[in-house]
Amino acid sequence: MIDSIKTIPEIKKIADEVIGEVSKHLVGVENYTRSLITALLVGGHVLLEGVPGTAKTSLAKVFAESLGLSMRRIQATPDMMPGDITGTRIYNPKTLEFEFRPGPIFANVVLVDEINRAPPKTQAALLECMQETQVTVDGITSKLQQPFMVIATKNPIETEGTFPLSAVQLDRFMFRLVLDYQEKKDEVEMLKRKLGKRQKVQAVVKSSTLISAASLIHSDVKTNDEVLDYMVKVVRKTRGFPQAILGASPTASVALLNAAKGYAALVGGRDYVTIEDVKAVAFDILNHRIVLKQEAMYSPEERDITGMQQIKSMLSSSIESIKV
Amino acid sequence: MIEDVKSISEIKKITEAIENQVSSYVVGWEGVTKSLIIALLTGGHVLLEGVPGTAKTYLAKIFSDSLSLAFKRIQSTPDLMPADITGSHIFNPKSMDFEFRPGPIFANVVLMDEINRAPPKTQAALLECMQETQVTVDGVTTKLKEPFMLIATKNPIEFAGTYQMPPAQLDRFMSRLIMNYPPRGAWVEVLKRKNDRGEAVNVKPLVKASALISARELIQEKIKVSDDILDYIAEMVRATRKLPQAVLGASPTAAVSLLMASKGYAATVAGRDYVTKEDVRAVAFDILNHRLMLRQEGPSTPSEEYGLVRIRGVIEQTVKAVSS
Repeated sequence: MIDSIKTIPEIKKIADEVIGEVSKHLVGVENYTRSLITALLVGGHVLLEGVPGTAKTSLAKVFAESLGLSMRRIQATPDMMPGDITGTRIYNPKTLEFEFRPGPIFANVVLVDEINRAPPKTQAALLECMQETQVTVDGITSKLQQPFMVIATKNPIETEGTFPLSAVQLDRFMFRLVLDYQEKKDEVEMLKRKLGKRQKVQAVVKSSTLISAASLIHSDVKTNDEVLDYMVKVVRKTRGFPQAILGASPTASVALLNAAKGYAALVGGRDYVTIEDVKAVAFDILNHRIVLKQEAMYSPEERDITGMQQIKSMLSSSIESIKV
Repeated sequence: MIEDVKSISEIKKITEAIENQVSSYVVGWEGVTKSLIIALLTGGHVLLEGVPGTAKTYLAKIFSDSLSLAFKRIQSTPDLMPADITGSHIFNPKSMDFEFRPGPIFANVVLMDEINRAPPKTQAALLECMQETQVTVDGVTTKLKEPFMLIATKNPIEFAGTYQMPPAQLDRFMSRLIMNYPPRGAWVEVLKRKNDRGEAVNVKPLVKASALISARELIQEKIKVSDDILDYIAEMVRATRKLPQAVLGASPTAAVSLLMASKGYAATVAGRDYVTKEDVRAVAFDILNHRLMLRQEGPSTPSEEYGLVRIRGVIEQTVKAVSS
């Protein structure tokens, strides 16, 4: 178990060990785990989008356990109220006082399953938590646990009783990771693991280490002007897409900067950001921030209900076209 | 009464004993009883779908009475709250303290009648119980009884005051068993028995819970599955995802259910300690039918068995395609 950390190269070790531990339990999720740990250490939140059964919940759970963090799961439903997430004040006849009963938001990793099934007011209650790491109930503000991260899941097929997330809300998520069905060999491997005894997930790092790693990334990873300039170019280019009505916001640029710093430390073990780091995280940061025109969403030959293929090709050609 | 199970062949004996007893009360649903036993012994939950009056509740009751298990029934209504299922903390003025009053979920077999009449939040409260065999009330987590199995019933015709079950929730059920009108011969037999016996029910418990738990362990640990079979299962679910008629195909969870149910089938029906392709085919329809979302092709009519005719056709076609 990693219990202290002093230098950037040591941070890479955290990422490697977490990915190693998660991979013992789940198949084919290395890249997603890498993005989750990056988001956690730079204060981001993650939206996992995928059809049912693509191990979104298990991934969040195993990830939290491998870091030794507390995790709570909230199943969103159309009749859920903000108090179901934040907690409420309950009258205690013994003390003759109202007592705060904390809700499931009081954990390090909070999994909100099927976030688009929650009504708008309840979705909005999450926003304060996500932005300020605090929650206000009946006018009293309480700090949430540190580190804190929301992992929300969403089904791309919107059925009856869902409330689409607004563009502003999507913008609060650092990454949207799109989980697809696994490759066949991975699916067979997953079945094979179900045959054996279930193993317990080991925590590989102390939560205090995570906090010092996060502040180390924030203070010690440097980004030069050339890279900053590149980031701005990448983001600004999305605003001129002819197929889109909305491009990436300034929040996206900030997310790009933070995620690239995290990536440099966690994957490269480096204390400076390169153009390659930016390229590596760009798609996960930008894909949910672009709103396509209606007519661009449905390409006749592809089964592309969410317009994801379209966004993918737009982004990759746009990033390729930027001269460094 | 059977207290312990030591070999796979004994599991087959238990199954036959239960089937005999159940079929002396309930006519025409032998296949359903078999599937209930498979689910019970492999940790699955079952959705019974059929028009009113086809003995869904009666069957579930006789089934669990045959097992000497604690049985509780919950009638869902649109005003049912999660605490009505899980239990709640009630203030006791004598001790001046909140006490936990466990709800009906604390039983081995829980029958949730007309699950789609319960509001979404209440349906969601069942998910934790189904997946983790535990329940969290006011932040305190309590383990449920072992073995635990949920049998939910559902009417295929959605009336006013019902809430559609989203695909992710349907996916948590190992199998959906269809109980529409039985053949005419069985119908006559039902009336004959009613006439002889009246309402009197005197079901003998045949198996102890301890025997069921050891049967579960035997199936989990002793039934062998070759790579060939794993491959076959993966091919089958993957084929449903490529169907042109399907909006949504079978998930990886479906593959896991297919694996578990095939193992259960091998043990309970054949008394074998390995799985064959026939076992997989035998359970395929029950496991897959509620997990496919087909494209709308005009309104479905009751004569089409509430859309089941198409699904049956699609599944048969898929099974045939991957078997050749």
